[in-house]
Amino acid sequence: MDSRAVVVGAGMAGLVSAIRLRQAGMDVTLVTQGIGGIQLGQGTIDVLGYVPERVLGQPLAAVTAYGNAHPHHPYAILSADDVRAGVEFLRALLPDTFVGDLERNYLLPTAIGALRPTALPQVTMAEGECTPGKQMVFVGLRQLKDFWPELVAGNVARTELPGGGRVSTRAAWLDLPARANEVDSTPLYYARAMDDPAYRKRFVDALRRVVEPGETVGLPGVLGLADRGAFADITAQLGQPVFEISTIPPSVPGMRLNDALTRLAKDARVKVVLGSQVLCANIDGGRIRSLTVGTTGRPTEYAGEHFVFAPGGFESGGIELDSYMKVSEPTLGLPLWVPEGDLVVADHNAAQPLFSVGVRFDHDMRVLDTAGDTVHENLHVAGGILAGASRWQEKSGDGIALASAVRAADAILESVQNLEGARNA
Amino acid sequence: MPEPLEYPKAMLTRATLDACIKCTICETACPVSAVTPLFPGPKFVGPQAERFRDGESVDHSLDYCSSCGACTLACPQGVQIAELNSQARAVMKEDNMPLRDKLIGQTVLMGKVMTPFAPIANAALGNKLVRTVVEKTVGVHRDAPMPTARLHTFQGWMKKHQPPASPRTRGPVVFFSGCAGGYFEVETSIKTVEVLEHLGYEVIAPKQGCCGLAQQSNGLFDEATKSVLKLCDQLRSGGKDLTIVSASGSCAGMLKHEAHEIMGVDEEKLHDVGTRMREISEFLLELHAAGDLPTDFVRNDITVPYHAPCQLKSQGMGMPAITVMELIPGVKVIESGRACCGIAGTYGLKKEKYDIAQAVGQPLFDMVKEKNEGIAVCDTETCRWQIEKGSGVKTVHPIWLVHKAYGLS
Repeated sequence: MDSRAVVVGAGMAGLVSAIRLRQAGMDVTLVTQGIGGIQLGQGTIDVLGYVPERVLGQPLAAVTAYGNAHPHHPYAILSADDVRAGVEFLRALLPDTFVGDLERNYLLPTAIGALRPTALPQVTMAEGECTPGKQMVFVGLRQLKDFWPELVAGNVARTELPGGGRVSTRAAWLDLPARANEVDSTPLYYARAMDDPAYRKRFVDALRRVVEPGETVGLPGVLGLADRGAFADITAQLGQPVFEISTIPPSVPGMRLNDALTRLAKDARVKVVLGSQVLCANIDGGRIRSLTVGTTGRPTEYAGEHFVFAPGGFESGGIELDSYMKVSEPTLGLPLWVPEGDLVVADHNAAQPLFSVGVRFDHDMRVLDTAGDTVHENLHVAGGILAGASRWQEKSGDGIALASAVRAADAILESVQNLEGARNA
Repeated sequence: MPEPLEYPKAMLTRATLDACIKCTICETACPVSAVTPLFPGPKFVGPQAERFRDGESVDHSLDYCSSCGACTLACPQGVQIAELNSQARAVMKEDNMPLRDKLIGQTVLMGKVMTPFAPIANAALGNKLVRTVVEKTVGVHRDAPMPTARLHTFQGWMKKHQPPASPRTRGPVVFFSGCAGGYFEVETSIKTVEVLEHLGYEVIAPKQGCCGLAQQSNGLFDEATKSVLKLCDQLRSGGKDLTIVSASGSCAGMLKHEAHEIMGVDEEKLHDVGTRMREISEFLLELHAAGDLPTDFVRNDITVPYHAPCQLKSQGMGMPAITVMELIPGVKVIESGRACCGIAGTYGLKKEKYDIAQAVGQPLFDMVKEKNEGIAVCDTETCRWQIEKGSGVKTVHPIWLVHKAYGLS
């Protein structure tokens, strides 16, 4: 396949669509201003967690129902089958990374002890599932300020589980610096320390002294970064079930996903251009011919036949808000869908309409203008830039990113095949 | 033009700080804080400390930043963290600049002094006693990688060199060797010129000095500004509007963006040279994209570990050398995936930072040792010396593979 594709953005959507296009034999360049947002999430695959009540069984059925009830939501256009295709593609890329089967949501404790629904936790988190009568001990590290076991244990213990019953919990502490004399470490330094088998042994020795038989051990999400065998080693040494809980960003489980996907993209020879901002698109006859990228020295043109735009939403700078409360898409000037009424509301717990601002799109992930017409024939969008979702609140971000990334790539591949078919006919 | 340090002082209060959302992604990318608690990380000394600085440094751990730029590259919000830290350090060191840091930036002087006495200079640098004395008096670590002096300079070769008799079908380009390419890595410069000539270019190599990068990274903005502007004049003397090609990745970066972004040099001549500057792999890849690069390469069945230097990555153009090398049938590249080799210009030479630089480089050295089939590849000189010393594997510029593939060696 001679076609060239340019993908913008290195989050879940950008990386996954780039890898899928490259696997089909396309020449793919991925341009990104910085590292994508995967490590700012929990490192789980969230499909749909709240609608607004908690989704427990059948998240894919919930996707369909939610889409039917919310015509502006991405799940009104992306189907449950699209979500399944996206999730299965990721799972094939990263085998042995996740548990779950899209038949139900897991309910796992967060670092403040809330029970959060997610479709596919990492293998390292699976034992955190809360079932009645389970005995959990949450273990903190004195030198790690981002994980407070009393907080987690207290909140989990007071929560009645959806089917009734509670988890019995306890808190404990270890006094074990990540590296010599450092009294205040981040999860990152602990995770790097855990990559060292000798440190893991010291860690498990210390853990053994505070853990009681029959307890499932909840730890901060620091169980290894580069060494993917760290978790299995810790579990085997301790001889008791262990799970990790992601801490505040950047989360180590998210970093592992980001590292693995970035490595896959690079190894497949997606040309990753890191550190440069896309400045504008060069358009000719309804098609984008190239993107102008602000490389050092002078801007560079990246020409292509197909473009995937996945810059993320408001929180990633993919959408901007000025002091007059006007929203815009700053890179390509795409038309935005904006909900009616105030974009920011005073109620802290309410859905902030600002987060649902984004671009409208069709099932080929082409951007639509307010009249419903295609904006650029060869521009496809994916991920957080899509309009209509409050991803952080619904816990829908990964499902949307994966479904749209795979749809965008497949729509491109279908269009190339159609073109080749027409040529051969 | 304002006094050189006025710019960083003024920048300290502005910069791109407002864009920082404290996501801390930069800290996950920092290779220095990963190996030593002496450096608390780019966000801590950058966007955090900056708010308290008001012209003066609040924290001298800033000096442990190696200026590799991995943080800026990683930042999803466009905060120029490394640039901010380089500016803050220049202000911090203004009144107490160590003699060592003044000397270490004198790369041309070093080349000029060493070349005529190359065997003696090399023997001296290989001598433990001499190096121990240098460490004690000057502060350059006794085991730090040092260049090997050559008896001939690139300019000396260029004067005697006869271009091929075939017609110069592609017109002239200017070649920028950089000091290391002029005095130490002469062979890389020669190979680059020979490849350009093989492609049909007329290569012009005007007399040229230092870009000032080593002075800049040591906070000597005044001297560095003078150096870079003088170099601009020299490169411009090669011809108006001509593409300038360099095999010295970090020096190309100084002219493309660092002199402007870090020191605030805003002269037309710098802009002119910066926009015309192409790193050699970038140049070859541009030709390839335009369908103008002959790929009648001789097969070379080899797997090469490749490290893209931090200062090359900072140019935001991806890794063109990988694509170029893999155009050669049989060549397979394994990218290091490491942010930095540790040396970061002159950082890893300094006695108090040598161990940190070695720890930063260790995973790279291990990877090179494990994956190499005789050579490793890296685009900049000091990084090649660092990798070669750390891994024991001969480390060459990507152009060496291209030169061979065209049957030129």
